[in-house]
Amino acid sequence: MTRQSSFILTGWNCETEFRCLQCDGFISAYPRLSGVQNRNHCPYCLWSRHMDLHHPGDRLAACRAKMQPVGLTLKAVRKKYRSSTQGELMLVHVCAECGKVSINRIAADDDPHTILKVLEEPGHLDSYKRQQLVINSIQILRPSDQQIVMAGLLGRIQPGWAG
Amino acid sequence: MSTMKDSTDNPSTKTDVGIVYKKSTGIYTIHAAGRILTCVLSARLRGSLVEAAGSHGHHAAEHLDPLVVGDQVRFIEGQGGMGLIVEILPRRNQFSRRSAISMPTARPHEQVIAANVDQVVPVFAAAEPAPKWNLLDRYLVSAEAAELPALICITKLDLVQDPGGTLQDELADAVAEYRRIGYRVILVSAYSGQGLVEVKEALQGQVSVLLGKSGVGKTSLLNALQPELGLRVNAVSQMTGKGKHTTTTMEMFPLELEYSEPCGAIIDTPGIREFGLWLEDGHDLDWFFPEMRPFISGCRFGLNCQHDEEPGCAVRQAVNAGQIDPHRWKSYLNLRGEA
Repeated sequence: MTRQSSFILTGWNCETEFRCLQCDGFISAYPRLSGVQNRNHCPYCLWSRHMDLHHPGDRLAACRAKMQPVGLTLKAVRKKYRSSTQGELMLVHVCAECGKVSINRIAADDDPHTILKVLEEPGHLDSYKRQQLVINSIQILRPSDQQIVMAGLLGRIQPGWAG
Repeated sequence: MSTMKDSTDNPSTKTDVGIVYKKSTGIYTIHAAGRILTCVLSARLRGSLVEAAGSHGHHAAEHLDPLVVGDQVRFIEGQGGMGLIVEILPRRNQFSRRSAISMPTARPHEQVIAANVDQVVPVFAAAEPAPKWNLLDRYLVSAEAAELPALICITKLDLVQDPGGTLQDELADAVAEYRRIGYRVILVSAYSGQGLVEVKEALQGQVSVLLGKSGVGKTSLLNALQPELGLRVNAVSQMTGKGKHTTTTMEMFPLELEYSEPCGAIIDTPGIREFGLWLEDGHDLDWFFPEMRPFISGCRFGLNCQHDEEPGCAVRQAVNAGQIDPHRWKSYLNLRGEA
């Protein structure tokens, strides 16, 4: 069945919608909903899929395996007068099959509770994956960095927000 | 012409064999033993084609004007360089694409570009317009489907080479990859003359069909090979960066290089903006990617594997291992989506 006929028969558009490999949820990758151009991860469980090889959106990776959210990090910013803690909050994913590490933008519709859960309970990383993080200069945020994460998620820290 | 029509009924009428070098709405230019004739289809042949089109329910226009450049025909010579085509001889091979559909409800059909060719020559500009490698993959797959060898020509080399003769990284990587697969790639510049000798050697004795987008330099290459042709060429548009569709008809030219042997011919085509694949069986698509062939039998789902989502796919493993270029694999997936 071609993509076009699939859409006509089922209303399912393979280009802008997909199903999460981890939680089986239906996800729309429509940029106006998520705020990101290349949606790979599920907004509910934050698991992703290894699709890109060189650049975000190139879809050249043949691995296609699940990618586990193993933590949060701050993207390094090159602005001269900004401190390193003020970079964009990013999700760190590790491919369950080939161990490829990637950092991904948090989408507008990602569940903030799940993001905080990733911060509190980061995924287990074996020595190879830890080495990959070091090679890619990725520093995983720790639970003690919750203030930074809250600021990244909400713009400013909300007093009384349960998290 | 009426006397010639009557003569087709007589089996003893002398006929000759010629090759179609040019066609234009029912009028064909035929080359036969050094003579050039302008021919039309005989009424009897046209009638049999109408009958065949009606009985098979095929696209009528294709069957009423079935000749393409490169076809061999039997004809009766008349007076004043005119002739009457009485028979279309069987083709050795044909190079086709899927017709563009004008309406969503229309059915695409096979559109034959040229017949009886020896090799396909996809022409791409190194710059202006920038090369589209997925379009090259379409040409190569079509050539593989027609069991024709392909010779890749990258033109306008003078635009991208630095003074030391080094190529841009992306272009050099792509050229290296296609050479690794087994395709012959020639880098050429019609402006500086670089690579022309190599192109001449590759075209000698062959009937080649030039393919490519408008503005890539197909006709300029032909002019550089045979300056006496003096074909009309044009620069790409400054506004759009695209070609201006200067060549509007398909025509075959006998190659007259500085060799004493028969030099073959070359078919110049108008710029092709869209090139849809015409394959009899979509499942064979992976076979038309030569670098995938060694891995196809290793897939867990065997010949049913689509090399996309299936677990245990040997082709995807080969992509991950660097044995197949990811861009070629992506081209395969794109083309399979259309099949």
